[in-house]
Amino acid sequence: MAILVDKHSRVMVQGITGGAGKFHTERMIAYGTNIVGGTSPGKGGHEVSGKPVFDTVVECVDNTGADVSVIFLPARFVKEAAIEAIRAGIKFLVIVPEHIPIHDMLHVRREAVEHNATVIGGNTPGIITPGEANLGIMPDIAFAPGRVGTVSRSGSITYYVADTLTRSGYGETTCVGLGGDPVLGSTFNEILWMFEEDDKTRAVVMCGEIGGVYEEKATEIIPKMKTPVLAIIGGIYAPPGKRMGHAGAIVEGRMGTAKEKLDALAAAGAHPCKTFTQIPETLKKLRM
Amino acid sequence: MRLYEFEGKELFKKFKIPIPESRLVRNVDEVVAAIDEIKAPVVLKSQVLTGGRGKAGGIKTAESAEEARTLAEDLFKLTIKGYPVESLLVESKLDIKQEYYIGVTIDRANYTLVVIASGEGGVDIEETAEKHPDKIVKLPIAVEDELFTFDTLAIAKQIGIPATLIKQGAAIIVSLYNMFKKYDAKLVEINPLVLTESNLLLAADSRVSLDDDAVFRHPELKEMGIEMRHEEGEMTPRERQATEWGIPYLDLDGDIGMFPGGAGFGIMGNDFIHYYGGRPANFMDSGGGPSPERLAKMLVLLDENPNVKVIFGARFGGISRCDDFANGVVMFLKDHGLSKPMVMRMTGNMWQEGVRIFEEAKQASPELFNNVEFHGIETPIEEISKRAVELAKINAATSQ
Repeated sequence: MAILVDKHSRVMVQGITGGAGKFHTERMIAYGTNIVGGTSPGKGGHEVSGKPVFDTVVECVDNTGADVSVIFLPARFVKEAAIEAIRAGIKFLVIVPEHIPIHDMLHVRREAVEHNATVIGGNTPGIITPGEANLGIMPDIAFAPGRVGTVSRSGSITYYVADTLTRSGYGETTCVGLGGDPVLGSTFNEILWMFEEDDKTRAVVMCGEIGGVYEEKATEIIPKMKTPVLAIIGGIYAPPGKRMGHAGAIVEGRMGTAKEKLDALAAAGAHPCKTFTQIPETLKKLRM
Repeated sequence: MRLYEFEGKELFKKFKIPIPESRLVRNVDEVVAAIDEIKAPVVLKSQVLTGGRGKAGGIKTAESAEEARTLAEDLFKLTIKGYPVESLLVESKLDIKQEYYIGVTIDRANYTLVVIASGEGGVDIEETAEKHPDKIVKLPIAVEDELFTFDTLAIAKQIGIPATLIKQGAAIIVSLYNMFKKYDAKLVEINPLVLTESNLLLAADSRVSLDDDAVFRHPELKEMGIEMRHEEGEMTPRERQATEWGIPYLDLDGDIGMFPGGAGFGIMGNDFIHYYGGRPANFMDSGGGPSPERLAKMLVLLDENPNVKVIFGARFGGISRCDDFANGVVMFLKDHGLSKPMVMRMTGNMWQEGVRIFEEAKQASPELFNNVEFHGIETPIEEISKRAVELAKINAATSQ
């Protein structure tokens, strides 16, 4: 088992004819991901890597049975593309582009909730179930099938954590990138619970960072989980009031310092880690 | 990005939110000229992009032009939390009967906008929220929904705006909400909204923070002189240079030049350096899928920064591929040259191609790589962080 995606997922790509869309579609196919097609308005009837291109998501879904979509489009087009996908019946949506206006993401989230769809991103590296499906931009080299789930707000941290798990022999069930933008399609809570219900996932590593409220919200769900949660939070030494690249990574007023997040998570029962190497050390202590 | 008080008030004016008579001035002579027009008594308000300016002595009342001149001379010498006062807002002094708070912001946890109001204005709203949550009115509203006057009439009543003025109060709240939506704001506040002795409602202060990622939708802001900036404070010259090149960059106070991949490790790498006893000189983010030219520019920023004793490079290629990364580093080494040690690790998408690019460049001109220590996936990033701290100490010692 895994969460959200596996080898049976029927995956489409919105923006499949663009530079990044094309490049990563080929990579995803090479990994073995079941890519069934994509969209690019005005380019219906073409093919990319042997997969059919449609003008609209509805046409793509009708012709290919797609149930998952990955978006590779400039940020300003994401709101419309995401709502198009959700209304066409896509149940899981991966939004790769970064810097999506916050007001747009609030709108997308409401559509998703109304239609019972799950969205990850914006600014997500994607999601990978090692050995089965790789959606987004994650480098294969970091991952191997195994028994630990990861959920992170940062791409590079996902890779470092997975790389550490892979080299220490634990491997991963599924690695989920929540995304680095300030308002995200999904939060730690929803993904942590999916891991809790996945019988193959023996432990979860959650990787947060300064800013926002999503780590604090996770303290509501961690005490209800049987699966152990390890937590690593970036930005312990970040200067307050300044935006560190990720739109999300800014400390607003008294909320969201990394230290407070880590303390709150530890109080809720998570196992705090400071560096990547402390992750396998902690798993060992937990007899995982 | 945060706006100055006077910029926020210009936006208020556009949305018909009443503000006190005021003039923006940049020197003492302009203060006196302003008082000729708007008449004493006035309040002189330092324009800085940080909170707490009142406590820091940045706001003064003057009863006459002469007094204003003396006070302004001191204010222009003032530095508030490290930010020099370069302009003042000269504003008519209000006869305050009552102060209210009105704000609109985003509730990220619940994915809504929220209108916040209180009968206790002029103070820190977060403090009121903690100590007297009953004195705060909150109205959640979906981003695509319209706020109506019938909603805000109730709010105006609840916070105690007098019956004769609730229509105006309600209209101000609706305007503030519309302004929030129109300019893709993260936060807009009127604190305080003042009820004067002559029964006028006036926005005496503004706090406006906009979503950097939506500024492209509002070219009119640039026409008003509102340009990209940090949430708090002004940019250093190097930060300005980086911004011109489109690179998210912050100056920090250490000596290790950080050349990370994404923002995630940019933030975490900063922590690692601290854990191992070093101090980063900067934060930087390459952004998704940077071109070799952009990567080369990132290195130029670090090489030309005299505080930087060593460059610490880390690339776990995702959307930013290792071949582009290697090409960027080689371009920098050839066109600019490296004047300090550099330790780096590269793995991820297209890493074999990246290694090949390095090896070919090194074969052609080995002298370019004299100061470069290169590692792949076999060396954990923690080891590279430690090595960067070590090299910084060695280099700092030898250059003294």
